[in-house]
Amino acid sequence: MSTPGSAPGSEGEQRPASAPLFEVRALTKRFRGLVAVSQVSFSVAPGQILGLIGPNGAGKTTLVSLISGTLAPTLGEIHFEGRRIDHLPAYRRAHLGIGRTFQVMKPFPGLSVLDNVAVGALFGIAGGERERSRARDRARQCLELTGLDHRQDQRADALGGPDRKRLELAKALAMQPKLLLLDEVMAGLNAVEIDEVVALIKKIRDRGMTILVIEHVMKAIRTLSDRLLVLHHGQQIALGAPDEVLRDPQVVEAYLGKRRT
Amino acid sequence: MTTGRWLVISCVAALAAVPLLGSATMVQYGISALSIAALAQAWNILGGYTGYASFGNSVFYGLGAYGTAIAMVDGHQSFGVGLGCGVALAVACAWLFGGPILRLRGPYFAIATLGLSGAMSAVVSNLGFAGKNVGLILPLYRGDELFYELSLALLVLCTLAVAWIARSRFGAGLVAIRENEDAALVMGVNTPRYKALALMLAAGFSAVAGGIHAYWSTFIDPASAFDSTLNVKMVIMTVFGGPGTVLGPIVGAFSLSAISELLASQLSTMASAFYGLVIVLAVVFMPGGLMELGRGFRRGGRHYFLDNMRRFRL
Amino acid sequence: MHLAAQILLNGILLGGLYGLMALGMGLVWGVLNIVNLAHGAFIMLGGYAVYYCYAGLGIDPFAALPIAMVGLFCLGYLVQRFVLSLIARAALLSTLLVTFGIDVVLTYLALFAFSADFRTINPSYAGDHFDLGGLTVPLAQLGAFATALVLAGGLRMFLARTRTGRAIRATAQNLTAARLHGINPRRIYPLSFGIGTALAGAAGGLYGVVSQVTPYMGNTLTAKSFVIAILGGLDRPLGVIAGGVALGIAEATTDIYLDPTYRNAIGFGMLVGILVLRPTRLFERA
Repeated sequence: MSTPGSAPGSEGEQRPASAPLFEVRALTKRFRGLVAVSQVSFSVAPGQILGLIGPNGAGKTTLVSLISGTLAPTLGEIHFEGRRIDHLPAYRRAHLGIGRTFQVMKPFPGLSVLDNVAVGALFGIAGGERERSRARDRARQCLELTGLDHRQDQRADALGGPDRKRLELAKALAMQPKLLLLDEVMAGLNAVEIDEVVALIKKIRDRGMTILVIEHVMKAIRTLSDRLLVLHHGQQIALGAPDEVLRDPQVVEAYLGKRRT
Repeated sequence: MTTGRWLVISCVAALAAVPLLGSATMVQYGISALSIAALAQAWNILGGYTGYASFGNSVFYGLGAYGTAIAMVDGHQSFGVGLGCGVALAVACAWLFGGPILRLRGPYFAIATLGLSGAMSAVVSNLGFAGKNVGLILPLYRGDELFYELSLALLVLCTLAVAWIARSRFGAGLVAIRENEDAALVMGVNTPRYKALALMLAAGFSAVAGGIHAYWSTFIDPASAFDSTLNVKMVIMTVFGGPGTVLGPIVGAFSLSAISELLASQLSTMASAFYGLVIVLAVVFMPGGLMELGRGFRRGGRHYFLDNMRRFRL
Repeated sequence: MHLAAQILLNGILLGGLYGLMALGMGLVWGVLNIVNLAHGAFIMLGGYAVYYCYAGLGIDPFAALPIAMVGLFCLGYLVQRFVLSLIARAALLSTLLVTFGIDVVLTYLALFAFSADFRTINPSYAGDHFDLGGLTVPLAQLGAFATALVLAGGLRMFLARTRTGRAIRATAQNLTAARLHGINPRRIYPLSFGIGTALAGAAGGLYGVVSQVTPYMGNTLTAKSFVIAILGGLDRPLGVIAGGVALGIAEATTDIYLDPTYRNAIGFGMLVGILVLRPTRLFERA
């Protein structure tokens, strides 16, 4: 049985206990009467992949926005590499090593694909590269990794749907983050493309990145995640190994509704 | 050196030679044209590259004018020191008000800058040491050549700054802010600081233009110093020439100045009405300005104009 | 005390007219998302229309208002239909520049046609006033205020009760949804813009009675309309009138207690203050 708010490293962990890369304590976000996220607490060890699932409107994107700094929390704390970051602006968190993709994508429309990604390299971890040429080199590597290098000179607003997703990912990767927050990068992709993305995410993790993935594609998130966190109406209802969590009756109920007996 | 650089240097040299070879009217016209081109280029930093279209940069022009004038008249300082004071005043204003105003987006930012300009003008017109509504009379300097060369130097300096911005990491950040500020913020661009820096740069250059104008005209009052017609001029010239490019503001300023002179000499009273018409047509058919027109026309001929119209119409 | 009450009254009466001026701009902004820099020019043209009806044809200014409104409606309709619709989906800066260009064209055409002389519309009752409990109530200003209220109320009812009005509001709130319901923006946009310019025209005519008309009067009035439209909430007619009254009172107070030259500073100061301190209301519109 998985329980919410478990102590770090005690649920389905194969690694030896290590200091968590980041930790969230009693995080709450209220919007004028609507509680989007309520008392969420968990931690993620370095190199782990945490899957974040829940029905639509559960507060997943809000949680990611709170971690990345796009939104400020109403209550609670966020710790990254041992220091408290919930009062830091988003760009400072980027310098510390937090990168994210947006579910509703945010490209730089008038810029080329290469320049889009180069922004990540110029301003990412530790303030990024100082020289544009080096930034562009790193950008090219990220484009190769995500399969967009043949489009590097095209305008970002000329890309189709799946390519836009790839661009969003490449931009975040160029920042060389320690923690990568992925918000539904697989939405709208076909089965082949999904497998490619799963392989890519695994490759990135193997290079040492810690990843939090929001996804609705159950098959993918099951294979990817070391642990799953389930949100429902802003509350944390399960946290643990994927198989356990997906069998949890509360989780099933959240997705499918109450079982009629 | 590349042909491009040789071309630029020869143009600058040719312009610098005008006072020696041209008539007095040409020099006077040149001073106005160079000055507005510099203002357009300064606006370009904040409006063209960063995407924050200010409609009130005349406030910095006016503060530059008044800073210079007050230093020279009340403080008995030299022109150089006066200019320094003008710049300091304008940059301080940018730093002080920039923070809150730069948090606004789009039209609200534009209106706030308009409001700032109007308010500053009204405040200055009530200050005794600034001459209230009567204005200030500066010491006379005979010799338009100096002001011409100073204006040219300002334009060159400002353009060099923009050229540096276009190639630098700072400029990449500004452009990122323009294209998608939320994304830029999350990717590590210190948007508040960058916006403030862009504003202060624009303020500084505009202030120098104002200071030169003050000394050249020998007289300033709130209306002429915070000249609100300049606001739209600098915006239109940059947009007409090509916002977010290095040469766009210069091309736009020179061509529109020439057009308006031509219209004024041929059509006198109706000239301004036609000027307004030119603006409307330019925005509808070539929204990327003249710089983009060159590229677009080569690719598509006259279809460039029709495509623009089709792209944006209801 | 007596002075304060008089100031309040002056401010309210003037403010009502200011509110009417801003009504059109707010409507156009809210529905078409166009910040019309030529708004003042339309006000000015309305002033001239009423002036010539009165001075040339002997029609009482208040009676001439409908004529001016119809004329300005047609002009606005045509301008939107044939010029502004071409840049409807362009960036906001483009609409600012195009409306600026239109402002220049209209202002200089007016200058050419009417010359720069200041004109006043001087019906026989222009200077009359009556006393109300020790306060002086100028008749013309009162009439202007009453007309402003009537028009604002009329606009509100039009938007709330008629089919076309509701179509306009739907378009303002969600263009795609409105289209899906069969509302054609190609009809709604010029219509809304025309209503906006008609209201501007009425304001101009009234302005000519209580003050003067000149081709250059547009610019300050555009700026004031901005402030008031923002204060009042764009396309909420009664809110805009209230915003106008607020500015009117602020101006009347500065006139007496500070100095008339501070008028603009107060207006602009309020503008900047509102923008910086109360962004939430505005972003609901964005």
